Amino acid sequence: MSDFDPGRRRFLGHLGLAGLGALGASSFLSACASSASGPAAGNGSGAVTIQSNLSSPQAKAAMEKLIETFNKQGKGTASLNTIASETFRTQLPTYLTSANPPDVYTWYAGSVANDYASRDLLLDVSDVWKSLGDYPQSLRTLSTDASGKQIFVPMNNYWWGFFYRKSNFAKWGVQEPKTWTEFLAVCETLKSKGVPPIGIGLGDTPWVASAWFDYLNIRINGAQFHRELLAGKQRFDDPKVKAVFTRWREALPYFDPKGKAYPFQEATTALLAGKTGMFLIGTFFADAAPKDALGDLDFFRFPVIDPAVPLAEEAPTDGFFASAKTANPTGTKALLSYLASTEAQEAYVKASSGIVLPANPKAKASDSPLVVKGKAMLDEAKELTQFFNRDSSDALQPTADTALTKFIDKPDQIDAILREWQAGAEKVFKG
Amino acid sequence: MTATISTTSVTPIRRRRRSARLSPLLVAFVLVPFAVESVWVFWPALQGFWFSLTRWDGMSPPAFVGTDNYVELAGDATFRGALVNTVIWLVLFGGLSVLGGFGMALVLQKERRGVGFYRAALFTPVVFSLVVTALVWRVFYQPDGVADTILRAVGLESLIRPWLADPQTALYAVILPALWRQIGYVMVLFLAGLKAIDPALHEAARMDGANSWQRLRHVTIPQLKGVNAVVLSVIVIDSLRSFDIVWSLTRGGPYHSSELLSTYMYSTAFQSLRLGYASAIAVVIFVLALAVILGYLVRAFREEA
Repeated sequence: MSDFDPGRRRFLGHLGLAGLGALGASSFLSACASSASGPAAGNGSGAVTIQSNLSSPQAKAAMEKLIETFNKQGKGTASLNTIASETFRTQLPTYLTSANPPDVYTWYAGSVANDYASRDLLLDVSDVWKSLGDYPQSLRTLSTDASGKQIFVPMNNYWWGFFYRKSNFAKWGVQEPKTWTEFLAVCETLKSKGVPPIGIGLGDTPWVASAWFDYLNIRINGAQFHRELLAGKQRFDDPKVKAVFTRWREALPYFDPKGKAYPFQEATTALLAGKTGMFLIGTFFADAAPKDALGDLDFFRFPVIDPAVPLAEEAPTDGFFASAKTANPTGTKALLSYLASTEAQEAYVKASSGIVLPANPKAKASDSPLVVKGKAMLDEAKELTQFFNRDSSDALQPTADTALTKFIDKPDQIDAILREWQAGAEKVFKG
Repeated sequence: MTATISTTSVTPIRRRRRSARLSPLLVAFVLVPFAVESVWVFWPALQGFWFSLTRWDGMSPPAFVGTDNYVELAGDATFRGALVNTVIWLVLFGGLSVLGGFGMALVLQKERRGVGFYRAALFTPVVFSLVVTALVWRVFYQPDGVADTILRAVGLESLIRPWLADPQTALYAVILPALWRQIGYVMVLFLAGLKAIDPALHEAARMDGANSWQRLRHVTIPQLKGVNAVVLSVIVIDSLRSFDIVWSLTRGGPYHSSELLSTYMYSTAFQSLRLGYASAIAVVIFVLALAVILGYLVRAFREEA
């Protein structure tokens, strides 16, 4: 479940939608509407259907294995439908609102789930949570909706940080920076050695820039303000938001100028080849790293800017929720309980790729030094955030992509950019 | 009396004969597709008009807002940019693919040794899916990719830029692969047209002392009228529905600089989940396509009349 990756999702999606024609456009839009009562895989009191967007080969195989084990245990039967991520994302509202919806879904915690819960589309899984007493409070809060009931069962999470190659840092004679000043000093050193200090990949994956915005905002204004901003309770043209960009501007000269043109997968290659110094990214990037490079990888947390602001880290959580309309709530909850178990989560971590932390505190994560360090960082954090689109919505992400790529190109126009961002966000909140 | 009977009975018989020609099979061939189309094309299209008058996120029921979406469109800078880009696209992509396709057809119309190879080579891009095409061109445009290597080799390093990430060049960098593909397609249409011209006309013109330019101007081009109508319709429709190549290469970015109406509609609908507003954009695209094609058809009919 480490493959949260809008870039890949979108890419898969437009493969499928490539033939979208303008003349058929209006019919296309409405076809989606009229399929609201579309087919849903069979349920009833028998098999529980689980709709999964984990379509990358290893993750898919891991899920198949989990479902197979569940079926053998005799607490119920489940059948797995794996759907390409982009199709899944655009169809999810249709699944949930249909008359005969699939029972369980892989998806994200946070405002995405809460939004569906506020429309009474999600099953109350408080029963499942009764047996999850040892889960950390932060995950319980994340899985609880506005009315106080649990609607989400977390599977695992991962973290974001500045990744670098230990051998390269040693070669350049630099060490992990702790503060913003130290960070800029490291950048300056790398630049003087002819290495673009900060890698980024915005070509196909402009959403990667949101990590910079998220982190600067939670380091300067705190996680609380960040969440309010993303929920439409604060304004993007607020001076507090502008302060984020004033800081960002100090680091802009150190960004790899080629990073605008290629996607994060290639930024990964550039980092591993020593063509950039460090890269702010989530652990999923390691999917694209050759195995021999993994041992040389390390990361440091986003530097502290204001020591008075409580430490928060981006730790997107993946997991499951279920449809409120399920015909078999007992079977659905049995499946969710199984997926939350130590056994299932360890099996998933072992079978899938990537570096993730199981949500169940008793489940063992991989014991590589990188994972141990990542877990320690998240344990130390006062607050966890998800990621821009998970804390707000997929709908707000395009506004961020536009604003942030424009800022990186034209930092002088920041006032106008923030005004446009606010206007765009208002439209999204308005619907 | 007998005479009147015979005259009146003649016409009904003729009529009956004519209607008898409409066999049930033929009627079925018209009506069945029509029924299917009504459900899958016409009805959803009409619904699209209705949705353009609503605010709708795809989950809650659509809320009627009248012409709000169209009023918003009128003041939407991104929409205006997309409209301008679509016009640029229509002119550049449309114009250059007609010129290029026609030029290639003229060059490759004569049967020479190896001409089949060149025709096939030019037509090959049409065979590939545009998404695959986009992948190949992305490699071409990427930093230190083929484009940059060529420029460096000829000493034009100063021109090097992130082609798809620079708002100045993104749109044109996307038009190029679209053209690369379309020219082969248009060429085939024109080749067919050229083949259909009676060689005797050229022979006669040559006898009259017309040089090759005059023969092109006064014999070939007028003879291609029928093909032109097809090419124009194809070009207009292809321009307005251009989506895949742009979406695969730039997604309309950076910051909307290569946005077309089609990509804006898609991102509004499926990323921003504003389906009412996206439907309004779809209606605008539909009206534009209809206006251009009807405009041409009306003119074509008038000329024939």
